[in-house]
Amino acid sequence: MKLLKIGIAALMCLLTLSNAMAAKSGMALRTTDIRKEAFGDAKLVGKLKAKDKVQILAKDRGWLKVKSRKGNGWVRMLSIRKGSYKKSNNEAKGLLSVASGRAGTGKVVASTGIRGLGEEELKAAKFNAQEIKLAESYSVSKAQAQQFANAGKLVARKFNYLPKVE
Amino acid sequence: MKMLAKYVFTSMLFVFCGPVLAFNFGALQEQLKAIPVPPQILKQLPVSPETAQIIKEVVGTSQEEEIAIGRQIAGDLLGAAPLVKDAKLQQYVNNVGRWVADQSERPNLPWNFGVIQSSDINAFAAPGGYIYVTLGLYKLLQNEADLAGVLGHEIGHVIRKHHLKILQQSKLVEAGGNAINRQVDNNEAVQKLIGGGAEIVSRSLDKDAEFEADSIGVVLATRAGYDAYGLPAVLQQIGHFAKNEGSVALLFKTHPLPDDRLDKLSLAMGARFDRIKGETLAQRFYHVK
Repeated sequence: MKLLKIGIAALMCLLTLSNAMAAKSGMALRTTDIRKEAFGDAKLVGKLKAKDKVQILAKDRGWLKVKSRKGNGWVRMLSIRKGSYKKSNNEAKGLLSVASGRAGTGKVVASTGIRGLGEEELKAAKFNAQEIKLAESYSVSKAQAQQFANAGKLVARKFNYLPKVE
Repeated sequence: MKMLAKYVFTSMLFVFCGPVLAFNFGALQEQLKAIPVPPQILKQLPVSPETAQIIKEVVGTSQEEEIAIGRQIAGDLLGAAPLVKDAKLQQYVNNVGRWVADQSERPNLPWNFGVIQSSDINAFAAPGGYIYVTLGLYKLLQNEADLAGVLGHEIGHVIRKHHLKILQQSKLVEAGGNAINRQVDNNEAVQKLIGGGAEIVSRSLDKDAEFEADSIGVVLATRAGYDAYGLPAVLQQIGHFAKNEGSVALLFKTHPLPDDRLDKLSLAMGARFDRIKGETLAQRFYHVK
């Protein structure tokens, strides 16, 4: 019995370790610069090629601080795929499938009170007057939204829409 | 939870053509010609006849009509998946959503946001400013900037009238005539236009409309003072779901895959946000119990 407990403890420890390590790994999606700081015009430290592996150490806005064989520094977040999530998500996915009642039969599991929302459900939907009124009762005014922004120290600023990418 | 990470969007429209085929298309052509667009407006624009026609159709739908159509769609959607019964959550989402929407060129719509009872990962926008996120998606969000980015994407669909244009292109909106103007519960005329239930929200928009909404989402979040990378972070998380996973099936069917969206966003954002600091407000983020 004691042995079993130790065994479980060791297993948990291993799992935690592998998760922690996995959570920090990533892979370059394309050729991308490694820079000394989290700015596009900061000093160039090195270059990653597509599929180069990195260890992710920190995040700042759209930048990730990485360690790699090509150098250590900051790279654009959108040039990196975080490799760690795959495995964890497989476990989570199983749970989600069960919760949505879509594991296997595709039938809705009524007892959970939570269901999937596929084309069939949407097609069969009937107008719910009470629910739309309830939803509308939660709408807020411009003034209320401004107050909410102030409370979070959010300040509106100008920023142009982005040009269309072909 | 962090590894589980973030979420999804779907903009669904409810457009269902079947029952509407009963309309008299000859009469419809006549109605189309009768749309009161000042001809000088069209003449002033250096556009092709096709584009002019689209402009004509968009102008032809008044804001009241747009809202009536959207409200019907929203009521149908809520018929399929009701609101999560958590008043604080709904108020929070409305505050964030309204603040982001107010940074757009259509701050005067009756914006309404909500979290609906579904474990699927998706979000829906209907014309006129009705926007709903599933509980499954909400649970993937990590902070307020993530929420702002997701809502910003849906707001993008509304302000660019992506769904309304689908309805207009199928020449259905005009067929409803003045019936659309009446603000009544369960408007039968409007329901005829949008077809069966809330199916219109499961229609795909074209890819460009989705990329445009992504691009608008990051800009609106930035304008609202948030970190610009909420939406991209959420897309990265959704990208880790398997394509055959049930909870993302509809989202992936109706949207370009997350990696393609991230590629486009990466190109469009470039270095433009390098010097922009924004808030993530992780501490204020409302966690669902």
